[in-house]
Amino acid sequence: MITVNDLHKHFGSLEVLKGIDAKVEEKEVVCVIGPSGSGKSTFLRCLNLLEDVTSGEITIDGDVVTDPKVDINAVRSQVGMVFQHFNLFPHKTVLENITLGPIKVKGESEQEANENGRSLLEKVGLSDKADMYPDSLSGGQKQRVAIARSLAMNPKVMLFDEPTSALDPELVGDVLEVMKDLAREGMTMVVVTHEMGFAREVGHRVLFMDEGVIMEEGNPEQIFENPQDPRTQSFLSKIL
Amino acid sequence: MIDDFLNSHYIKVLPDLIPGMGWTLGLTLAGLFLGFILGAIVGLGRLSRFKIISGFCSFYVEVVRGTPMLAQILFIYAGLTRDVIGFNIDPITTSIIAIAINAAAYIAEIVRGAVYSIEKGQHEAGRALGLSEKQTMRYIVWPQAFKRMIPPLGNQFVISLKDTSLLSVIAVNELLYAGKQYYNVTYTPFQTLIMVCLLYLCMTIPASLYLRRLERKLDV
Ligand SMILES: Nc1ncnc2c1ncn2[C@@H]1O[C@H](COP(=O)(O)OP(=O)(O)OP(=O)(O)O)[C@@H](O)[C@H]1O
Ligand SMILES: [Mg+2]
Repeated sequence: MITVNDLHKHFGSLEVLKGIDAKVEEKEVVCVIGPSGSGKSTFLRCLNLLEDVTSGEITIDGDVVTDPKVDINAVRSQVGMVFQHFNLFPHKTVLENITLGPIKVKGESEQEANENGRSLLEKVGLSDKADMYPDSLSGGQKQRVAIARSLAMNPKVMLFDEPTSALDPELVGDVLEVMKDLAREGMTMVVVTHEMGFAREVGHRVLFMDEGVIMEEGNPEQIFENPQDPRTQSFLSKIL
Repeated sequence: MIDDFLNSHYIKVLPDLIPGMGWTLGLTLAGLFLGFILGAIVGLGRLSRFKIISGFCSFYVEVVRGTPMLAQILFIYAGLTRDVIGFNIDPITTSIIAIAINAAAYIAEIVRGAVYSIEKGQHEAGRALGLSEKQTMRYIVWPQAFKRMIPPLGNQFVISLKDTSLLSVIAVNELLYAGKQYYNVTYTPFQTLIMVCLLYLCMTIPASLYLRRLERKLDV
């Protein structure tokens, strides 16, 4: 589904990604872990071209998205992104947040988008909130709306950037539950997370990033029970 | 007693001042309407990634904000004569242009500040959905920014309304000029100017009160 070849990203003179090679299969859930500043967010943002890559190649579902001729908006409409701070649109109702993309980007009729939106809200357990404004929701509810908003575009891949790290601990569970459902349904997902429990339970593969490279990767048992790289070991010993 | 008051200049000046008040209000609204359009263009221009555009817009803002409005009015009216631009600009047109050009510089800053104040994440969330830059501005950034512009725009309305008094130098029959004409004949500047100021307050105080209510309602 996603292939990344020798991806480099500079911010001015600072090299943040130093040659990333990665592959994500269809229906695979890949969790990305690593210390702060290691480039996890930047990597994720490169995948849907929120950052322009300095060099390297990214292919999504057969399309080379790093090709300068590619229609960036079309690529993004097929790659859902969920942010740490939700980034819901405060001037729109919950339902309008969800239907904006389908109506404006995919040209769905309002009725079609509304029906779809309501069923997505049901799926994330928030059907009663359709006409509320985001400000009146809890963090966990906001994040579930944000997930529904991304799903409304019917993406091929979902990217999550620490979706639960801005939440109060008691609200994390609901969001993770929604993400687990998605994984079970076969959504291809790349998840930057500090939730090691989630990575263990749902992740098919874990990538450990440090200083702009993928230091180690493997299935969750390998990484968590038997890490090979000393830096993975020290990182895990600090957080587990 | 009451008869004395009704026959005083406090009352007798009113028929002369009311039309002046109309001009003051009309010129302010017309000038601000154009000023908002121009200001929005300049304000967004300052956010442009093209250095020439943002540089030019900054230059405009600095020049207008750094020179007295009285000089700007005279420049348009007396400076841009037939010799310079091929025709004379009449006082009313001058007034509207002067208010528009002057207010646009301040409105540009209001627009820029409001757009700038919208969290980057809003823009990113729009783009991540696949919305184009234009759609993102139109459906996500602009509506939120507009709400934040309303209080400072209301403030600008009050400022521009008071600034119209400067137009008396080019004999536009706005409120202050109408008062001056009256007391030049009657020699009653004290009574006349009290009434002039009262009428300014009749316009500015309701505007401020309405604005405060709107701010509370919009929660900005
Ligand atoms: N827009 C930017 N301009 C300049 N430097 C940036 C920018 N975005 C990120 N960086 C830098 O790139 C490095 C990697 O940042 P990134 O956000 O990808 O790390 P991260 O692994 O997601 O960290 P965290 O766990 O704290 O979210 C950091 O040193 C950061 O300061
Ligand atoms: Mg990050």
